Amino acid sequence: MLEPRQVLTLQALVDTIIPEDDYPGGWESGVGDYLLRQLESDLRNCLTAYRDWLDALEIEAERVFRRPFASLDLESRTALLEAIEQGDIKSAWSVDRATFFAQIVEHCTEGFYADPGNGANRDGIAWAMVGFEVTA
Amino acid sequence: MSQYDVIVVGSGAGGGVTAAVLAEAGKSVLLLERGRELSTEAIGRDHLRNQRVSLYGHNAGPDIDGNPRTSDDGRVIRPHEPGYLNNAACLGSGTRVYAAQAWRYMPQDFRMASIYGVPEDSSLADWPISYDDLAPYYEKVEWELGVCGDDRTMYHLPKYKKPYPMPALPLPGKSRVHLKGLEALGWRGLRMPRLINSIPYNDRPACAYCQHCFGFGCPNDSKNGSHNTTIPRALRSGNCELRSQVMARELLTSDAGSVNGLSVVAADGTEEVITAGVVVLSCGAVETARLLLNSATRREPNGIGNNSDQVGRHLQGHYYPGASGLFPDEIYDGLGPGASIATCDFNHDNGDIIGGGMLTDSDVCTPIVVWKSQYPPDAPRWGIEAKRFMRENFRRINDINGPVHEIPHPDGRVTINSKVRDRYGIPVAHLSGTTHPETVRTASFIHERAREWLRASGAIKVWGAAPVLRLSGGQHQAGTCRMGEDPATSVVDKWCRVHSQDNLFVADASPHVTNGGFNPAETIMALAWRTAENIVNSW
Ligand SMILES: Cc1cc2nc3c(=O)[nH]c(=O)nc-3n(C[C@H](O)[C@H](O)[C@H](O)COP(=O)(O)OP(=O)(O)OC[C@H]3O[C@@H](n4cnc5c(N)ncnc54)[C@H](O)[C@@H]3O)c2cc1C
Repeated sequence: MLEPRQVLTLQALVDTIIPEDDYPGGWESGVGDYLLRQLESDLRNCLTAYRDWLDALEIEAERVFRRPFASLDLESRTALLEAIEQGDIKSAWSVDRATFFAQIVEHCTEGFYADPGNGANRDGIAWAMVGFEVTA
Repeated sequence: MSQYDVIVVGSGAGGGVTAAVLAEAGKSVLLLERGRELSTEAIGRDHLRNQRVSLYGHNAGPDIDGNPRTSDDGRVIRPHEPGYLNNAACLGSGTRVYAAQAWRYMPQDFRMASIYGVPEDSSLADWPISYDDLAPYYEKVEWELGVCGDDRTMYHLPKYKKPYPMPALPLPGKSRVHLKGLEALGWRGLRMPRLINSIPYNDRPACAYCQHCFGFGCPNDSKNGSHNTTIPRALRSGNCELRSQVMARELLTSDAGSVNGLSVVAADGTEEVITAGVVVLSCGAVETARLLLNSATRREPNGIGNNSDQVGRHLQGHYYPGASGLFPDEIYDGLGPGASIATCDFNHDNGDIIGGGMLTDSDVCTPIVVWKSQYPPDAPRWGIEAKRFMRENFRRINDINGPVHEIPHPDGRVTINSKVRDRYGIPVAHLSGTTHPETVRTASFIHERAREWLRASGAIKVWGAAPVLRLSGGQHQAGTCRMGEDPATSVVDKWCRVHSQDNLFVADASPHVTNGGFNPAETIMALAWRTAENIVNSW
């Protein structure tokens, strides 16, 4: 599984992809639980890529901001991820790692918008936010 | 002595009707189903693993492990993965979780080659039967299984002899918006018929308008599929035995133009030979072809019914062109199942376009469906703006789409790959080829009409991918045991009897010569009814 330090990075990453506003951010709504469960089952094949990617993100944060990713504010984290998305990378990343971000985004949002049985969308909070009500 | 009068293989749309008609006529019937009998709880409401969104699995079979298919690009495909062309495998098959749209095909749909001519390289052909041959059976399905709708709005069809037994479902907010769009364009509209109880019917309640219809089981059993209509009827007659989790492996023949029965294998690996006077294959278009091709005999070394190399060819389904629109006001009011208004103005008579298709609005979309397939390509995908976009617009987005009548290509086909085996060691289905390019031209035309309808309905932004050439099949798979008069160009005759066998019939979507511009289930059921009735009458 992920190292504790990688989980810290993941938490900050999830809360950058789905930040808190009047509704909880991704981590509080359970996206972390969803991802950790998936990385042991359906997304088993992605575990190594996740580890490498999270480590690379830390190196990039160190290179650009001289600080751990999780200690950055939302604005800086967002700016860093936008740069990675556009391929504007300061440390030694492979292109694959840059495009892997799009997959992480999909995994996070899958959890967030899926049924609570999948581990995220705690108490149906994402459904309440968009206005998807289950009546029967 | 045979053990049974009839074995029906497969319990889906065609198999359910066949078992009911034969058992009620006093025949002893064995109904075999390779999948499980699933409760609605077992089907569940997993938004990532269902028969509509199958990201990591699905909820109505087949099991993900041990049931592969292969394709020309060398892939070994699991049932929930793209390219497998899955429908379902459980008691009731697709009808257990379908959206229950209940369409009759149009008279013209049976005469495509006569009306349009045959495009080069395509295998477009007329059906050997007409709308009038099927109309009485459409009516039976509508009354006996239970279809709601409004026959007075079915402007594209000959006048119904009998109305639907139940009124149409109420119009959700989205549909009312699209009704205005139709009026603005001067297009005609109709109320979508569904195999759903709009009022209590057949001792089951009326629809609860839930949000989990398409792709899920029904919470109050008001959706009518084989599992709660035809199969219980067959069982109530006392003449039908149901065995689920049993897979038909191979047809057995006397090698003299008739079949004796089947060899089967149960989920625990037990093998058995079962004999019967008549065998009916209702395995769905891909698996019925596979079973025939896996049953080689001395007289038919390439599979039963396949001496003309027709079994498995002309595989069709439906292109589903459409587009999404963003509306200024909230149009989603939560009322399921959703799609309620359709137009059949573009099924035929589209200038130099061949055929066409019905267009309708969409069923209730879960948030994940909107996120994965209705989200504008230029909207933010992550960050605070992506969250805000979903929050502000989930209730403002809707799709218009519909099934296009495909122009078949003989090389779009099912063959056998004996190098890859399923969990029982049976060679799997190999999928290859594509539809005919004319299908793409028709689908592109329909795609444009969907955009037009959305704009006329008030959409402020419209998007959607244009259709591209590929192989169809999937939930609407059909065509692999084509019906026809000539054994050189077809597999079954106009009674759906395999040309080369006295007592082997096909009752699923496989005999469909072409697949109409409509969802196929009611036609599959009507055709199966006609086939089963004929078996009884000519016994
Ligand atoms: C989510 C979803 C929504 C749909 N919505 C609609 C809709 O709104 N309207 C509509 O018209 N259609 C709809 N469909 C499609 C519809 O369900 C199919 O067209 C229909 O079920 C096909 O009928 P069939 O008899 O050809 O085969 P099926 O219904 O697929 O039945 C075949 C059965 O045979 C079994 N089988 C196969 N091989 C063997 C074997 N060797 N031994 C034993 N058993 C075997 C299979 O497990 C399966 O249960 C939908 C399908 C799905 C999945």
